[in-house]
Amino acid sequence: MIRIDNLSFAYGGGEKKVLEEISLHIGEGDFLGIIGPSGAGKSTLAFAVNGVVPHHFNGDFYGRVTVDGLDSLEAGPEALARRVGSVLQDIESQLLASVVEDEILFGLENFSLPRAQIEERISYALAAAGISDLRARAISSLSGGQKQKVAIAAIMALRPKIMLLDEPTGELDPQSSLRVFETLSQLNRLHGVTIVVIEQKIMMLCEFAHRLAVMERGRLILEGPVEEVLLYPEKLEAAGVNIPRVATLAGKLRARGLYQGKTPLNIAQATAMMKEATKDAALG
Amino acid sequence: MSGLLDYVPGNTFLHRLHPLSKLIFSFGLCLACFLTQNHWLVLGVIVCSLLQAALAGMLKPALAVLRALSKLSLLLFLAQVFFVRQGQIVLSLPLDIYITDQGLSFSCLFVLRLIAVTLPLFIMLSITRMSDLTNALTRLGLPYKYAFALTTAMRFIPLFGKEMSEIMEAQTARGVEFDSKNFCKKLKLILPLCLPLLLSSVRRIENSAIAAELRGFNVRKKDSGYKRYVLGRGDAAVLGALVLILAAVGLEHFYG
Repeated sequence: MIRIDNLSFAYGGGEKKVLEEISLHIGEGDFLGIIGPSGAGKSTLAFAVNGVVPHHFNGDFYGRVTVDGLDSLEAGPEALARRVGSVLQDIESQLLASVVEDEILFGLENFSLPRAQIEERISYALAAAGISDLRARAISSLSGGQKQKVAIAAIMALRPKIMLLDEPTGELDPQSSLRVFETLSQLNRLHGVTIVVIEQKIMMLCEFAHRLAVMERGRLILEGPVEEVLLYPEKLEAAGVNIPRVATLAGKLRARGLYQGKTPLNIAQATAMMKEATKDAALG
Repeated sequence: MSGLLDYVPGNTFLHRLHPLSKLIFSFGLCLACFLTQNHWLVLGVIVCSLLQAALAGMLKPALAVLRALSKLSLLLFLAQVFFVRQGQIVLSLPLDIYITDQGLSFSCLFVLRLIAVTLPLFIMLSITRMSDLTNALTRLGLPYKYAFALTTAMRFIPLFGKEMSEIMEAQTARGVEFDSKNFCKKLKLILPLCLPLLLSSVRRIENSAIAAELRGFNVRKKDSGYKRYVLGRGDAAVLGALVLILAAVGLEHFYG
């Protein structure tokens, strides 16, 4: 679905490459989490996928990005927008209407959706984001978290093949963050939407994503299924990524020969791991 | 918390009006204020605007705007009243400074106009959704891109106000005293903040442009609008009232 080959990019006027030789393949129906410290180039990578780089932000662009068969260099953000729904990091700037329902309507109108579908799409997106009660509210009266949900709903309504979200839960409380991830997971499982999420909440990402890509100083240093990526705690910590404590614990148990199974990604799996490890220890 | 020019949701008679009617009515009132030389008519427009605000359930914010405008008006009144030298002297002060009846009349009309022109526009923007306003402007023949840019610029005004207060709060936390009563000192403290505000504003506008582009702004067609607006009796009443006001101004202009 998304193919990135040897992508390097430096913003116009800057000599430093923000992205360096990135190669990544994201299949249809994949759920990829991108992690890395600030300044690692995660947002620029997202911009390369939705065509903002190099069409909006000029610079030295090397390599090739193909999205659903379209070359991002040739297609541009308008053509890619039909396939990639993007939620940007700065939510306040992303909201362009004065009322919630108008915000969702904006994209639907732009893409000239049939009138019969529009009302259904608005209701669906509001319900999926859990904000049906906010439909007639003025955006200026919403909290940061509510605004974030509106931005996500506005993209969901477009039903893109790919959803690209840059820190979509940055201003959300843990409960709301969980709900956003559950909704994304549902879209992924039931509708086959390819999800790419840049996120700092690694624990949550590990629980929902199928694969992880770790970036450091513009380079992709690790990429693969979540359990496999978590097998390199030293590399992750050196890159400034805070790995889940259950994964650290699994690493320590492995080092002592007490556990050989998969890296746990949630509390239930961690409990099972501890049972297995303590059973082995008791037998030993 | 909503600020100046933020949309005030509601379902009142005024909220339900056709956006074009709201636009025409508010600009019509402004036009009437500029055409007339009659203080009472301009005062009437202010009263009419306050009545509108009460009907729209936003009397409190309208009165807050009126209070802020009154302070500014007082300054402008004082700046004007001493410079008109024609007419009968009504108050004479030392150093050849005096106030004439024409000066008083002109200054009063000037500040009344300022208030009367601001209030209808403020009310119109507060009770009209930005998307409706954009659609109304496109009905008037303005290309969608320009109409959208105009309404989005208006949406940014409260955002920039919020951003400025955040920058000021951050500076206050670092010990800068903005609550000084000395105007010059306050200005000296605020001026350096304009640069960070400008930079963040440019960044924000750029992000908004990207967000719009990523949601198909450039592929929008002329017939892409979903909403249909119908002119009703309310619109007829409001536009009729405007015709009467403009007729009164016209009569006053020719006979009065």
